[in-house]
Amino acid sequence: MILLLPAVGVMVLLAVALAALLQFSVLEFIPGSLRTGGLTTRNLDAVLTPLYLRYIWDTVLLSALTTVLTLVASYPVAYALARSRSARVRSLLLVLTLAPFFTGAIVRTYAWMLVLGNTFIRWPVKLLFEPAGVLIGLVHFSMPTMILILAAAISHVDRTYERAAASLGARPRRVFWRVTLPLSMPGVASGSLVVFAWTFSAFPTPELLGGGRVKMIANVVKDLALDAFNWPGSAAFAAVALAVTFLLLAVVTRALVRTGGAAA
Amino acid sequence: MTAKTVVALEGVEKAYGSVRALAGIDLGVIEGELLALLGPSGCGKTTTLNVIAGFAAPDRGRVLIDGADVTTRPAWQRGLGIVFQSYALFPHMTVAENVAFGLRERGVAPAEIAASVTEALALVRLPGVATLRPAQLSGGMQQRVALARALVIRPRVLLLDEPLAALDRKLRESMRAELKEIQRVVGITTIFVTHDQHEALGLADRIAVMNAGRIEQLGPPREVYERPATRFVADFIGASTLLEAHALDARTVEIGGGLRVDVRLPRPLVAGERVRLLIRPERVELGEGAGMLAARVSGVMYLGDHTEVQVELSSGVRLLATVRAAPPLGPGDPIGVRLPADAFLEIA
Repeated sequence: MILLLPAVGVMVLLAVALAALLQFSVLEFIPGSLRTGGLTTRNLDAVLTPLYLRYIWDTVLLSALTTVLTLVASYPVAYALARSRSARVRSLLLVLTLAPFFTGAIVRTYAWMLVLGNTFIRWPVKLLFEPAGVLIGLVHFSMPTMILILAAAISHVDRTYERAAASLGARPRRVFWRVTLPLSMPGVASGSLVVFAWTFSAFPTPELLGGGRVKMIANVVKDLALDAFNWPGSAAFAAVALAVTFLLLAVVTRALVRTGGAAA
Repeated sequence: MTAKTVVALEGVEKAYGSVRALAGIDLGVIEGELLALLGPSGCGKTTTLNVIAGFAAPDRGRVLIDGADVTTRPAWQRGLGIVFQSYALFPHMTVAENVAFGLRERGVAPAEIAASVTEALALVRLPGVATLRPAQLSGGMQQRVALARALVIRPRVLLLDEPLAALDRKLRESMRAELKEIQRVVGITTIFVTHDQHEALGLADRIAVMNAGRIEQLGPPREVYERPATRFVADFIGASTLLEAHALDARTVEIGGGLRVDVRLPRPLVAGERVRLLIRPERVELGEGAGMLAARVSGVMYLGDHTEVQVELSSGVRLLATVRAAPPLGPGDPIGVRLPADAFLEIA
């Protein structure tokens, strides 16, 4: 029991912080001041407008696209990492996968600004400070984690199943589509869930690669709180976003568990 | 034998790193027969099966099916039916989908697939489970599904990897009989791998006893049991006692401690030569009376349908005997032993 105390302490602290956030969201905003007035619903009314709901929609869309693209880009790498016969290829892929973890999000994002910003390469379409650029940054940021989760799932697929499929006349490509991929669905599900959830709360990547033109929920919260000093408005938006997040996670989790559950 | 050879291995060698899994295997499997690859773990029997199936490429030698060299042909083009030790039923498919897998890969029409699946499940006596998932079936049922899945594609050869090892004993015995019956009905050439001598003796038409990557002996069960070609075969199949003997004349030998016994071997012995003789425990006769060798019981193990008795002759030689009944014997009891002249086998 005593070992649970730290956890309980953290929970209490977070609950207090969340309560404070919810409290701020219904207090009146006095421009130019951090003081707040009396109870009001004006903050919520203000963020439940097309302008702000649009940011939430953009975030959903970017997160969904990031998840799908990350999955498609990561699966082949994860497959090679789990199944390559050459130990050298496997360790090279592992090193390349792990390397980004050692550089940190900010450094990586600044590097992307140089790459996307027509500094070294002239891109035919504008990428920096555009949704496409943010998407590229988010996918790159998510790939290492996705690769590791998928590789673990693929290496857990018993190769006897693949042998059985081959003995029944399935050529290698069919073995993959009918056996290996379906049996690795638990990894696809958990990897997608992790990537979707953390992209939804992404901050540095859209902040730097979006350049204020592409904003996700976290960027809007920060703009309202630290640029406009509208703490009640920021809190109201955060509360709405939190509600949407919970709703979405419930839906996505249920869908993914069903996909993964069918294979398990 | 004039029968047709279906599968042939010619000088097959295979090494994993520095481990020589197969050290030159030559084997011909005859049309319609049930051949057992028998041996201890690590003897190369599973590697042999993998080489035939196309899961492992031999370093040297050839694999032929119906006379055609398939050494470099991938597994999916070999048209063999395989039942894996773990059954390897696809967990994300129903029983029917599992059985239909090979037919779908061959592009068979859906109506025909449905009929074949029903027929295959009836053959293995497993109707009414088509819509279940493999995890919902018992081990014995899973094994039948695996067999149905392998047979439904009408393979040229059926390969079974330790088909009964995962079942409990009672089920194993009934499945053994059933497997043989199905194989007889279908008439399919079958190769199965086992480490269980009873399984091999009871099921196979011929047994290839393997050791250290080689085939030590290939022959019908009776021949392998009654005339083991090597000491390894004698040791591995059935219990036995090995005696180092010394020939006195063509038909008499001396075994340890000046004890003389008559032997009847296929060849006459030459006085003075050393021979290794083997005697099966069920051929050692225990009792009392004239002409018996004096011995003492040194151990008794009651095993239900028979009893194993360890005896020590007065000369110090130890022998293992089995008797049907449960004799009222205990360690130290005096007993007479008779070793029939035709009970001895000579081992190289």
